[in-house]
Amino acid sequence: MSPSNSGVASVASGAAAAAARPRAGWSFLASELVLLFRRRRTWVLLATLAAIPVLVAVAVRLSTARAPGSGRGPAFLDQITQNGLFVSVVALTICVPLFLPLAVGVVAGDTIAGEAGAGTLRYLLVAPVGRIRLLLVKFAAAIAFCLAATVVITAAGALIGAALFPVGPVVLLSGDTIGVPDSIVRALLIAGYVTVSLAGLTAIGLFVSTLTDAPVGAMAATVVVSIVAQVLDSLPQLDWLHPYLFTHYWLGFADLLRQPVEFSSFSSNALLQLAYVLIFGSLAIGRFTSKDILS
Amino acid sequence: MAQKFTKWIPAAVVPVVIAGVVIAVPMAANATGSLPDKSAQEVLALVASSNVTALSATFEQTSNLGLPQLPTGTGAQGSGSTAQAASALELLTGNHTARVYADSTNGAENMRLQVLDSMAERDVIRSGSDVWLYDSKKQTATHATLPAKSDAATSAPDAGDAASTLTPDQLAAKLLAAVTPTTTVTVGNDLSVAGRSAYDLVLTPQAGDTLIGTVSIAVDGSTGLPLSVTIVPKGSADPAFTTAFTSISFDAPSADLFAFTPPAGTTVTEQALPAEMAKPTGEAGKGTGRSAGKSADRPVVTGTGWSSIVELNVGTDQSALTGSPLFAQLMTPVEGGSVFSTSLVNVLLTTDGRVFAGSVSAEALKAAAAAAPLAAAPAAK
Repeated sequence: MSPSNSGVASVASGAAAAAARPRAGWSFLASELVLLFRRRRTWVLLATLAAIPVLVAVAVRLSTARAPGSGRGPAFLDQITQNGLFVSVVALTICVPLFLPLAVGVVAGDTIAGEAGAGTLRYLLVAPVGRIRLLLVKFAAAIAFCLAATVVITAAGALIGAALFPVGPVVLLSGDTIGVPDSIVRALLIAGYVTVSLAGLTAIGLFVSTLTDAPVGAMAATVVVSIVAQVLDSLPQLDWLHPYLFTHYWLGFADLLRQPVEFSSFSSNALLQLAYVLIFGSLAIGRFTSKDILS
Repeated sequence: MAQKFTKWIPAAVVPVVIAGVVIAVPMAANATGSLPDKSAQEVLALVASSNVTALSATFEQTSNLGLPQLPTGTGAQGSGSTAQAASALELLTGNHTARVYADSTNGAENMRLQVLDSMAERDVIRSGSDVWLYDSKKQTATHATLPAKSDAATSAPDAGDAASTLTPDQLAAKLLAAVTPTTTVTVGNDLSVAGRSAYDLVLTPQAGDTLIGTVSIAVDGSTGLPLSVTIVPKGSADPAFTTAFTSISFDAPSADLFAFTPPAGTTVTEQALPAEMAKPTGEAGKGTGRSAGKSADRPVVTGTGWSSIVELNVGTDQSALTGSPLFAQLMTPVEGGSVFSTSLVNVLLTTDGRVFAGSVSAEALKAAAAAAPLAAAPAAK
């Protein structure tokens, strides 16, 4: 990735936005998305995430050749051998606590601080792009990355699972069995759930990113916040606080694997993440609109 | 500078609005419609006349019995009786969310109870006379067939697993059965449980030596179904045990919820019911050797009402239980045995292999152990 390149593209898109006012927001968003997904760093992040289900599947494949599953390891791990579609769920379970927050922290922490650090932020704002609109577009692009990351994990898991293990009816947590098409719907629902789960962290990263000109600092702070929240969530003495932690429902996607589907954790999670997005979004707006842009 | 200050207004307003919504929405949901005043006897009659045949509901159980927090998933480790005891303890002591579906509109008794664990689930499915227990973590399923015309819904298979989770209405039925002349029954202020207006039936034991302070049962104003049970120990303000529906619907659930086929890869065990279950007349002596042994282990109840004490012979071979570190953590050694103490129930395990349990003080249990003759222990052990 070259910083100057990103700056030029953004300035160009800003000019284009000025030319076509009604469609300005969308073309700005489109150019931001192109910018994000053209970066080599984004590709490396997505490839790393995709490698996790592959590693899990290969490891289970090699070990089951020697010994039958013993019921140890993360949830659903021993069901992989019966059904490859579970590789997606296992990989998401592994990624949610650390790898996904890490990837999201890198992208969300980079949003404003990255431009500031590369010295391109003021050029972006010289072009007639409102600061609030810039924040909204940056946030939308980061959410698009969250969606891409979960979809990549789910798809890579399903593909490697189908390649290495039999694919057939899926056994739910309730002991009921559903067919392959139904299980694909559930896998997509889970990907949606995890994407929504990451919205709060993305908003936190966006806010932290407006505080500093050092993108590495913003990335690290975002990842640290997610880890601290998970540590607090595991302390039983703080159980009054747990429902308000943005990490609290992160593993609640298991409720989508029950029969009938339990949607209450999905809606609680969505409301909680919405609250985080509103609070940290408004904080980011307050900070960014009142900030002196020096770089 | 003033302009800069105004930029922060949204950041100040949004958290306030969210805090307002967080506080206001549950209050709006709890706003109760007023119910006609009823006396305690009328509310008891309402419970007795309750005739709910179909429901789909979620309930939550929280308990604060003064026990050390058991790590979740304790039941998965260990083996044999230790694992079973730990699993039963975990169900009793932990906080759980469960869903229940019931439908007996067509005459056949159909019920499904799902204990929603993190990344796992324990199910009890009853369809007519077939009962299935399913544990997704252990990937085991247990099947039992109930004798015809038995009203024992979930108590039939061996206790110690998901069956020992009671829905609020089942627990309330057990507690109301204990209402004796030694209990004062009053009706408190109307409650709102799961969005329904309910009468608050408060049972206060009059017996001096029980650990239970009050038991509150929320009784649905229109159907008479108990919606929540709260047990407060004597001398405490905080409930030690609460189970309450969080959402409830009286629509008939889908029929295929009750049709359970153990999934591929599951260990299936067939469980024969103990003889006294199959023969409610209780002629235990006619049974096989195993059932005869079972009937000798039948609990003996001494005392009445809230302060009754249950005595059970477990035999002197307690090494499987006492050897586990969990046991050492939970039991306090006393003279002549060890005591498992909670704010609601005390259990005394004597060295000669008897268990005394009751909602009474440990001293009362020791007195009962001293009073009960050891000769009652089965000779053929």
